[in-house]
Amino acid sequence: MPKHRVGWATWLTFIIAALFIFSLWAIEFSPSRMIQVPGQVLQQLSFFYPADMAYGWETVLPAIVESIQIAWIGTIIAAILSLPLALLGARTLFPRISRFVKLISATARAFPEILLAIYFVPIVGLGAFAGALAIGISSVGMLTKLGAEVVESIDFGPVEAVEASGGSRLLALRYAVFPQVLPELAAHWLFRFELNIRASAVLGVVGAGGVGGVLLNTLRYGHFDKAAAVLVLTIIVVLAIDMISGEIRHRIIRG
Amino acid sequence: MGVPLKPARNWWLWAGAGGFLLAMTLWSAQGIGFSFSELFCNLGSGSRLLQESWPPDFAFLPRLYQPFLETIYIAIIGTVVGGILAIPIAVLAARNLSPGKLIWFADRNFMNILRTLPDLFWAMLFAAAVGFGPVAGALALSVFTIAVVSKLWSESLEAVNMGLPEAVRSAGGSWLQMVQFGALPQALPHYVSYVLYAFELNVRASMVLGLVGAGGIGMILETQRANFEYERVTMIILAVLVAVLIIEQISESIRKRLT
Repeated sequence: MPKHRVGWATWLTFIIAALFIFSLWAIEFSPSRMIQVPGQVLQQLSFFYPADMAYGWETVLPAIVESIQIAWIGTIIAAILSLPLALLGARTLFPRISRFVKLISATARAFPEILLAIYFVPIVGLGAFAGALAIGISSVGMLTKLGAEVVESIDFGPVEAVEASGGSRLLALRYAVFPQVLPELAAHWLFRFELNIRASAVLGVVGAGGVGGVLLNTLRYGHFDKAAAVLVLTIIVVLAIDMISGEIRHRIIRG
Repeated sequence: MGVPLKPARNWWLWAGAGGFLLAMTLWSAQGIGFSFSELFCNLGSGSRLLQESWPPDFAFLPRLYQPFLETIYIAIIGTVVGGILAIPIAVLAARNLSPGKLIWFADRNFMNILRTLPDLFWAMLFAAAVGFGPVAGALALSVFTIAVVSKLWSESLEAVNMGLPEAVRSAGGSWLQMVQFGALPQALPHYVSYVLYAFELNVRASMVLGLVGAGGIGMILETQRANFEYERVTMIILAVLVAVLIIEQISESIRKRLT
């Protein structure tokens, strides 16, 4: 009979539980506070009803539209910048440079958009333009990585065919690589657009335009009915865009 | 064999898509005030800002230690609470396990709505509800973790081999026993992997939660940013980046071993 031993899962659970309790203690989350919190949240919730939809149509909707525009321009910037980088980052096409490109894109991915926006706001001024630049630059990392993976997964037959019949590297890219990778790249761009809508929605917190600033202000001044309008409209618009974009992505991938 | 025919293209579709892309881009660029001239005119002030933000203020580093720890605590609490609460939500949202169509539908929509709001929105809401500080941040990350883990894991649960759960069921097991002994063990490695992934996201998110007053290192960042102390801002951001990359490396190496 095998000796009974304490499995790694038990140890892991134990360690996590200890860390969890220590963390609770460290942020001074006492049991009495724990009992308070649900009540506070519920009470707060009652202030959110009914939503001030007049404010919603007048102020919130334009801000959401601005967030969408920020996300769109950011995604366009990122798509344009990441296309050549994705090719350079593909191990199969450019074995020497690809490591370097991948390293850079990994570092860029670690940067939350909002931290970049902190730098762009003083450079180009308060507003949506700074937000679009921040979103664009911070999306390049992920799109480069995903793009390079797409390029690495292509069928190399057509590339060899073009080169064997005397075509240059550039012609091989145009006639053998692009047609294979473009649908998948487009799907990744759209997916990034969906992520960027959420990212651009918070940029207003540091003054980079969009709906986040509106929410922060309504909450700061205790206008919870107006905050509710922000939440309702944001949820509806984001759900709608996710659905449309997801549908398009599926169609692109299926061809 | 002759030369293969070039497939006919649907020109109308291409023109429509291209036109839509162009129109959307122009409309957006105009809407956000995109201008190259502004970009280049402001490069001067930009370079001044960059000069001010370099070199980072290393003397400031010791003061980051405490807030940084708080950030990690927030991430741990959010991951554990959210990870546990995500289990029932994911099970009920898995089409093959859910006990009823109505529950499945309601839970699925609940999950999707949770996912629409970004992490900082939750942080703002909880900061308004329970006051500024790390508790608001921990609550926000709990909700965010539920959203991430339940969505991903419900998909793994839908992919489990149904033979085992059906065996439990036909041996007279209850629904709960079927889930507990038939389905969950199969998808456990995925669960651990997704929770770790959520932890990585949470560490990254918890760095900026403080911008809206929800505790952690972001609160210092916000005060230094408001005072235009960009040498310190750079220091904070560099420290955050290094910490995030290290934690991600550790977490990723664990995840690779799991699956």
